[in-house]
Amino acid sequence: MNTSPESFAEMSKMNRRNFLRGLGACVALPALGSLIPSRLAGATASAGPKLATTATGAPLRTGFVYFPNGAIPGQWWPEGGLTDFTLNATMQPLNAVRKHIQVLGGLDHRNANAGPDGGGDHARGNSVFLTGVRINKSATDVRAGISIDQVMANEIGHLTRFPSLEMTCDANRRSAGCDSGYACSYVYNVSWKNPTTPMTPEANPRLMFERLFGSGSHGERALNAQRRMATRKSVLDFVVEDARRMTRSLDVNDRAKMDQYLTGVRDIERRIQKAEGFGPNVDPDVSTPSGIPATQVEYVEVMYDMMALAFQTDSTRIATMIMGHDGDNRSFSEIGITEGHHDLSHHQNNAERVAKVATIDKWYVTQFARFLQKLEATPDIDGNSLLHNTRILYGSGNADGNRHTHENLPLVLAGGGGGLLTGGRYVQHGGKPVSNLFLSLADQVGVTKLERFGDSTARLTDV
Amino acid sequence: MSVCSPSTLALFHFSNARTLCRFVALTVVTSALSTFAFAADKIVESFERDVQPLLDEYCYDCHGNGTEKGGVKLDGFETAAELRDHKLWLRALKNVRSHIMPPANKDQPPPEEVEKLLTWIKRQAFGLDPNKPDPGRVTVRRLNRAEYRNTIRELTGVDYDTQVEFPADDTGHGFDNIGDVLTISPMLMEKYLDAAQTIVTKAVPTQSRVVAERSIAGSDFAVTAQPAEAVEVIPDAESAPKVEPAKAGPSAPKPMLRPKPVVEGRNLDLSYYTPATVAAKIEAANPGKYQLVVNLRVVEKYVDDQFDYNRCKLSIVADGETLVQQEFVREGDRAFTFTLDRDWQTGPHELSLQVEPIGPDRPQLRLLRLRLKDVVVRGPLDEKHWVKPKDYARYFPGDVPKSASKRKAFAKEVLGRFASKAFRRPADPATVDRLADIAMRVSSESGSTFESGVAQAMVAILASPRFIFREENSEPLKPGQDHPFVDEYALASRMSYFLWSSMPDDALFELAAKHQLRANLSAQIDRMLKDPKSTEFVRNFSGQWLQARDIASIPINSLDIFLRENPNPALDSAREVFRTIVPIPEANRTPEQTAAFVEARKAFFAFRRTPKPDLNDSLRDAMQKETELYFGHVIQDDRSIVELVESNYTFLNETLAKHYGIEGVKGKQMRKVELPPESPRGGVLTQGTVLTVTSNPTRTSPVKRGVFILDSILGTPPAPPPPNIPALEDAASPEKLLKMSLRETMALHATNKMCASCHSRMDPLGLALENFNAMGKWRDSELGQPIDPAGKLITGEKFSNIRELKHILATEHRQDFYHAFTEKLLTYALGRGVEYYDTDTVEQLVARLNATNGSPAALIKGIIESAPFQQRRQEASLHAIDDATQAEAAHRVSQNAR
Repeated sequence: MNTSPESFAEMSKMNRRNFLRGLGACVALPALGSLIPSRLAGATASAGPKLATTATGAPLRTGFVYFPNGAIPGQWWPEGGLTDFTLNATMQPLNAVRKHIQVLGGLDHRNANAGPDGGGDHARGNSVFLTGVRINKSATDVRAGISIDQVMANEIGHLTRFPSLEMTCDANRRSAGCDSGYACSYVYNVSWKNPTTPMTPEANPRLMFERLFGSGSHGERALNAQRRMATRKSVLDFVVEDARRMTRSLDVNDRAKMDQYLTGVRDIERRIQKAEGFGPNVDPDVSTPSGIPATQVEYVEVMYDMMALAFQTDSTRIATMIMGHDGDNRSFSEIGITEGHHDLSHHQNNAERVAKVATIDKWYVTQFARFLQKLEATPDIDGNSLLHNTRILYGSGNADGNRHTHENLPLVLAGGGGGLLTGGRYVQHGGKPVSNLFLSLADQVGVTKLERFGDSTARLTDV
Repeated sequence: MSVCSPSTLALFHFSNARTLCRFVALTVVTSALSTFAFAADKIVESFERDVQPLLDEYCYDCHGNGTEKGGVKLDGFETAAELRDHKLWLRALKNVRSHIMPPANKDQPPPEEVEKLLTWIKRQAFGLDPNKPDPGRVTVRRLNRAEYRNTIRELTGVDYDTQVEFPADDTGHGFDNIGDVLTISPMLMEKYLDAAQTIVTKAVPTQSRVVAERSIAGSDFAVTAQPAEAVEVIPDAESAPKVEPAKAGPSAPKPMLRPKPVVEGRNLDLSYYTPATVAAKIEAANPGKYQLVVNLRVVEKYVDDQFDYNRCKLSIVADGETLVQQEFVREGDRAFTFTLDRDWQTGPHELSLQVEPIGPDRPQLRLLRLRLKDVVVRGPLDEKHWVKPKDYARYFPGDVPKSASKRKAFAKEVLGRFASKAFRRPADPATVDRLADIAMRVSSESGSTFESGVAQAMVAILASPRFIFREENSEPLKPGQDHPFVDEYALASRMSYFLWSSMPDDALFELAAKHQLRANLSAQIDRMLKDPKSTEFVRNFSGQWLQARDIASIPINSLDIFLRENPNPALDSAREVFRTIVPIPEANRTPEQTAAFVEARKAFFAFRRTPKPDLNDSLRDAMQKETELYFGHVIQDDRSIVELVESNYTFLNETLAKHYGIEGVKGKQMRKVELPPESPRGGVLTQGTVLTVTSNPTRTSPVKRGVFILDSILGTPPAPPPPNIPALEDAASPEKLLKMSLRETMALHATNKMCASCHSRMDPLGLALENFNAMGKWRDSELGQPIDPAGKLITGEKFSNIRELKHILATEHRQDFYHAFTEKLLTYALGRGVEYYDTDTVEQLVARLNATNGSPAALIKGIIESAPFQQRRQEASLHAIDDATQAEAAHRVSQNAR
C-alpha cells in the first residue's frame, strides 16, 4: 500500500496518539472501580461456583491471538530447560515479560494435517486452531466445530455485556477462491459459534470501540448506547415473529440460515436484559479511534488496545484476535521487507528469505509483547495487574510455514490467569493435542461437563 | 487390448455373486426398489456395452488394470452405486471434453466415440433427463454488502456505506453472493438492527411541517469583480506554481499568480491571492426572519512539507451590510460555517463574498483557496410558513388524518406500501397490522409524532428477515413438471439481483403483480441491460471473475519490481549495508561503518530521485476502470465474448496508456483506444488488473497466472497442490537455485512426476505472460536475462508469444472458454456452485453461444430462461415430513388401539 500525503494527513486527523494517551490516563484513573460494572462487586461477594473469577474476586479473562504462516522453528524455540531457558531470537521482545509467559512445546493440531483431504494447510491452520476438529473440505458446505472460546462464552458469557469479542487486523479480502477448495469462511475466521456459524470478526477499531462503549464523544456515549439498546429492543418482537412466520415456508437447509438470524436476535435480547442489570454503560475518557490506520503497526496496536480496554472495563472476558489469516501475503515495507509473507515463507532454505521470515515473526512478537506490557502496567480491580488476571494464548496453526507442518506448533501462553498459571517456563508437552490444553483452560474458568473437545485425549496437567 | 480380455473382466467385479445376492435380497424387501434394481441393471449393462470397450482402449493404460494415475481409476466398480460416482465422471467429462484426456501424445478416440462416452456419463452415471432438468437448490440468500447498499439506496435514497459498516462477506466458488456461505453472526445481526435505525433516521421525515430550506451552491454564485490580470489555472496542476528552482531563490522574488475564481463541481474556489467579489441573488417569497448558513472549506494540497503562509481577508455582505470579516491563513483543510440571521421583506436580496489578499508578503508555494460549498437559506422561521419536509411524499402520500381510526388506516397504507417494496413481494395483512400497531404505539408516546411512529415501524421492516433475506415462493406444480417455477416476485428478484445487484424496480414489480413477467422476459432483460444499474453487474461480476476488484488493495512494491528489470548493484550493496549497520547502535559503529552508512544513504537517495513507475492509486484506479469498461463494452454492445480473450482495442487514459507504453492518449478520461498493430494488449489477460492480482508483491508468479488462465478462462482448474510438496531445494542445491533463471527453476517441476502432471499445464501459460511484470508493465528482460515467452500447451499447440497464445485460446480453445465463462456466469446468477446435474443446462447455454457467435445477451437470456433460474427443486418440506411422521404416529396409535 502506498502512503500518500493524504493518508498522512488522515492519520494525524484521527489523533490516534491522543487515543493511546487516553488509555494511559484511564489506566491511571483513581476511580478505576467506576469503570467496572457495579454488579461485579456483587458477584465477587456471592457464594457458589466462581465462574471466570480469580481467587481475589477479579474477572478472569481469556484471549486468543492468531498469527499467520507459522514461525521459523530454529529461531523460535528457546534453548535450555524448564525454567533456565534462554529465549531465542524471535521471542527476544518477550524477555520484558518473561516471568508472565510459558513457551509451550510439543503441542499439535493433527486435524490440520492433510489426512485424506489433500492441500489446504492454511485454511486448516486457521479453522482448526481453536476448534481442534477436521473441517469439511468444501467451497460451500461449511462444517467446522465450535471453538473453545465459544465453549467458554456459552458458560460465562452472561457475566459481561458481551459474551465474547472477535477482532481481526486483516481487513482486505481477496475475491478468488480461498485455499485449495476450502470455503473462505475457514480462512478468515478462528472463532466458531457452532459448526456452521463463524463468529465474524470486527476489523474496524472505530466500530469496535462504538460497539463496546457507544458512539459519540466522551460524555455522550452512555446515553447513545442506551438509546441504541432501546431502539433495538423496540423492533425485536416484530422481527422474531417475522422470522417465525418466514421459517414455516422454508426447507431444512434454509431453516439453518433462519436459525442464525434468530440466534443473533436472541443474543441481542439477552444482552438488552443484561444491560439493565449492569447499570449505565462505562465510558472511558479517551477519544474514539477513527477507522483503520494507514500503517500495519498502528493498526495492530489500536486493535490490541481495544482488547485491553474490553478486558479492563470487563465488557467481556473472552476475546479472539486475528493478526492475519494463514496464507497471508502481506508485505512489511515498514521494516524493509517488501516481499509477501506467504511467498517468503516458502523459503527454500535460502538464508536471506529465512532471515526475512524470522524478522516478520519477530515483528508480530514485538507487537504482542507491547500489548502484554500494557496489560502489565494496568492495575485491575483487585490491585493486581490486568496481565495477572488474564490468560492469552498466542500462536499459529502452522508450525513450519515452509513445509506446512502442524506438529510442535509455536504457542505462547501469557498472563497469570489470576494465579492459576505458572509463568517463566518452557514446558515441553511431548506431542499432545492442543485440544488438551483447551480442556484445561476451560476448566479454569469453571466450564463443567466438558469431557472432550476437538481431538483431545486428556487434560493438560502442567499449565 | 481386446475388450474381453480376462484381466478386464477380473477387475470388473460387478457380476460377482456377493453383489448379486445383495441385490436379490434388496428386491425382496420392497417392490419399490425393484425399479432401482432395474436402473442398476441398465447402468451396468450400458457401461459394459457402450463405455468399457472405449475406456479399455484409450484410458486403462493409465486409469485401469491396476494403474491409478492421478488417483483416478475407471474400472473395478463393484456396484451400480459406485458407477454413479458423480465426482469422478464429472472430472472425466470435463477432461475429455477439453481434450486434456487422453493426453495429446496418446491415441485419440474418434469424435463419435467421445460423444458416446459423454452421453453415457450424462444419461446413465448422472441419470439426467434433458426434458426434466433438476433445477438444484439454492439456499435462501441474504443480501451481501453490495446488494444491501444498492437496495437501501433504491428504497430510501440513502447511501449507507456497507463497505465500512459491515464485515466482509465470505465467498464461495469465487463469488460473494453464494447463499450457502453467507452467514449471519450475532455481530452482523446487531449491525443490521443499528443500520436499520440509522437509515430510517436519515431517510424518513418525523415531522409534517418544517422550516423551508434551500441550498444555493457555490457554483451558482456569479463573479462580479476581479482584477484584469487574473489568470486561468488548470485545477489539475494543483499545488505550487511551476517556477524553475534557480529563479526561486529569495534574491529573485517571483511574481504572484492570481488565479481566477473557478467552479469545481458544485463548489466555487476563490484564490487567496486574487481580489474578487462573488454574489448570488436570493428571492424571499415571504417576509420574516431568515437564517443563512455559509459553508466554506479552506483547501490546499499537502506536498512534501511545503507550506504557504499567505493570508487573505473574507467579507460576507448581505444587501450592502458587512456581516462577517475574517482573516485566513493556511488552515489545513478545515471547514468553516457562518450563520447569519436576517429579517427580510418579500423580494430579491443579495449575498456577496469578497476576498482581499493580504500582502502578498510570503513566498507563494501552494495555491491556497477558499472553497465556497453552498449557502443554506432557512426561512421564514415563523411556523405559519413551514412546509412539508423534503422527501415527505416519498413515504407519506398526503396529509395525516386527524381521527385516530383514520390514522391507523393511513399508517397501514404507508407501511404496507413500504413493506411490500422492502420485502420485494406484497406484505400480508397480518404483518401490516403488526407494523401499524408499532407505529401507533410509538406515536402515542410523549414527544413523538405520527411520522416518528411510522418511522419506527420502518426500522422494524428493514431489520426483518424478509428484508435481509430474499424470500422465494413457488408457483403450483404444472402438469408434467417435476419441479415448480418460482413465483414471479421471486423471479423478479432473481433477475434484478443478477443484473443490477439490487431490488426490482416498479416495472418488474408491476409485471410480477400481474403475473406477466414470465411472458415478457426477453423485453425486460433488454431493458435491464440498458439501464445504468447494470454497471453493478459489470462491476461485481468482472470484479470477482477476473479478481479485478482486488487491484485496489493488493500489496505491490514498485521499487523491487523496477529493480528486477533494472538491476542496480550499487543499490543492492547499499541495501546490504543498511541491513547490517542499522541494527548496530550508532555509538558502537566503527568510523568505517559510519562512512559506509553515509555512502549507502547517498546511493539510496540518488536512486530515489530517479523517476520510476509506481503503482499508485490513480494507476490502480485506471486499471480497474479498464477492466470494468472493457467488460461493460462487450456486454452493453453485445460483442462476442471471445473479445474478452483477444481484441485490438482496450480502454485507457493517459496514466494507463503511458504505463502500457501506448502513445497519443491524453488526459484523465478513460476512453476506447484502438491498439497499434502487433500490440500485446487487448483482452483481459494482458490488462493491468489481471497481471497484478496474479503476482506476488515483488515479482510475478507464473504459477498463479497459469492457474488463473486454467480456472477463469479455460474452466479446467488444476488439482490443488498436494500437502507434502517436495521443496525446490530437494531438486537443486541452494547455490544452484540462486543462479537459475525463473524459467529454469520452473523446469524443475518436470523432474518430479507428481509436480509435472499439473505444472506442465499451468507453467507454459504463466510463462507466456512473463513479458509483463508484477504491475502489468512490458519488459524484455528480468535480472539481466532475456525473457522467453514461447511454449507449448498440454493439448499440443505451440506459441511463440502472448499474441499467439491469445489467438490459440480464442480459436482452438473457444469451446473451453465458452464453457468456463458460462459456468462462472451461471454460478453468479444462481448463487450456488455449478453441479453435475447442471451439465445439460451448461451445454444448452454453450450451444447458444455457438449459434450466436458468443453473444453475451443470448447467454444472459439463456441463463434467465434456464431451469435452475426459473424453477426450484421440489423438496419434501418439513411440513410434509412432519405430516408424514404424524400420520405414521396416528397410524401406530390406531393400531395399538386395535
